Amino acid sequence: MELNAGTAGTGSLKTASERDEVAALESLQFTDEIRRLMSAPATDNASSFTALLELPAPQAVQLIHSPDSAKLIAAPPPAPNVDDFKGSFNFPFNSGLIERATRFSLFAGDGNINDNNKSNSPEPTSYNSSANLQKPVKSEPTETESYQPLVSDPTVENRSTKRKDREKVKGSTKKSKTGAKDSSDDAQKLPYVHVRARRGQATDSHSLAERARREKINARMKLLQELVPGCSKISGTALVLDEIINHVQSLQRQVEFLSMRLAAVNPRIDFNLDSVFTAESGSLMDSNFSGMVMPMMLPEVQLNGNRQQYPQQLHFDAFQQPVWGTEEVCNNYITPENSLLSYDSSGNSASLHSNQLKMEL
Amino acid sequence: MDSQLLNPTSLKSRFTARFLRALTKINAPNPISSSSPTPREIFQRYRRIKVAADKSMAYSVRSRTTWSRATLSRLRTRSRHRRLASFGPRSSVTTAAVLKKTSSHGKENEGGLGVQAGELRELVPGGEAMDLCNLLDETAHYIKCLTTQVQVMKTIANLYSLE
Repeated sequence: MELNAGTAGTGSLKTASERDEVAALESLQFTDEIRRLMSAPATDNASSFTALLELPAPQAVQLIHSPDSAKLIAAPPPAPNVDDFKGSFNFPFNSGLIERATRFSLFAGDGNINDNNKSNSPEPTSYNSSANLQKPVKSEPTETESYQPLVSDPTVENRSTKRKDREKVKGSTKKSKTGAKDSSDDAQKLPYVHVRARRGQATDSHSLAERARREKINARMKLLQELVPGCSKISGTALVLDEIINHVQSLQRQVEFLSMRLAAVNPRIDFNLDSVFTAESGSLMDSNFSGMVMPMMLPEVQLNGNRQQYPQQLHFDAFQQPVWGTEEVCNNYITPENSLLSYDSSGNSASLHSNQLKMEL
Repeated sequence: MDSQLLNPTSLKSRFTARFLRALTKINAPNPISSSSPTPREIFQRYRRIKVAADKSMAYSVRSRTTWSRATLSRLRTRSRHRRLASFGPRSSVTTAAVLKKTSSHGKENEGGLGVQAGELRELVPGGEAMDLCNLLDETAHYIKCLTTQVQVMKTIANLYSLE
């Protein structure tokens, strides 16, 4: 009754910050009440003790959920270990109870902060819904470890440590999470590549996409490093890119120099070259010159249907083939070649042999 | 015996065929026994040969890569410019504007490689309108084709100089 009066008095204090103190007060009142009851002659210790055992869980729940309706504490049986009980709801003979009690006390403190006084499931309101739904088991031991000594002071310390624990839980759940994140839920539905987020990395969709892009770019850089000679030793993307740029520039310059060289060369040789690769498709085998030229002749030879068996016929047939087979042909291409071949064939064959000799040297 | 034969449909052989044909086309107008050509003629031939080399390489690749398409369109517009000098500048301006619009959007996420990426874009034809990822792909193919080109032209030049 005195307890009722006390709770009724405290029940008038409805502010969020003072609800914690109310809970603390109630715990203290509970101990006082127990002490009083202990001093009074108690007959059924055993039965009351067992009743006390059953009491804490529902009592704690009711205490927390409705701190102003603490009339239920009206008849607390005496407890032999009231000293342990002072200021804390520690019942060492039931660790599960302890965990639940501490958790509920925590959530009560935070629930009061969040103005959710009578929520039945305080957990999701204080944590991210995804984190809680996925790993509630993991969060419990971390909380109970850090919060058991703090149960007696459900004040600001509770709030700050709770926030820390929330972040800790977030980190641990991040580590264990796979592609299924709350912010990237759409990634699950779409046929995209799933990227696992490592610990300490952001998990929003933007950074995920950026990370995938970066990995693609790094893979391509590796390929380029193999292409460009002397690039595999260099580390660092910027330097490798510099090397690649230098290589491309040098290749382009080489093409220019070679075309200048080809332009400066006496064009007389050109006709020989032409007749050379028409006539030598059957004869020249070993030189690298044939290695370059013969594949060019092969498609034309295949058009004819005979494969290097009649070099004499090829001398004219194969030559005429490319003239009609290509789309780039212009009319004046035919006449000088034909005229040259017709009257200069002997000269060509002579230079042809000299060419062959030079190649084999 | 035919140990040195290359694949007749490879890039190298395709390029060689086209380039040789183009070379003969360029060298055809000159008579066989001409005196040493003037530097002006040499310069003109150099330009034609260079264009022929780029063109034959781009044709050998067809339109599979962006740089080949860019090279071909560039060559075509250049020839068109030569013929229709009055209409040339307009088309080039519009294409440049379009390219700038697309490139500014695609270049968002370069990281810290902005300078090098810009240089690479200038080197690779058609590189302005590509993001870094595709640009690296194009660069790899472009390097491969340039190497082939250099190899073939070197061999041909050696053959010429042997005579």
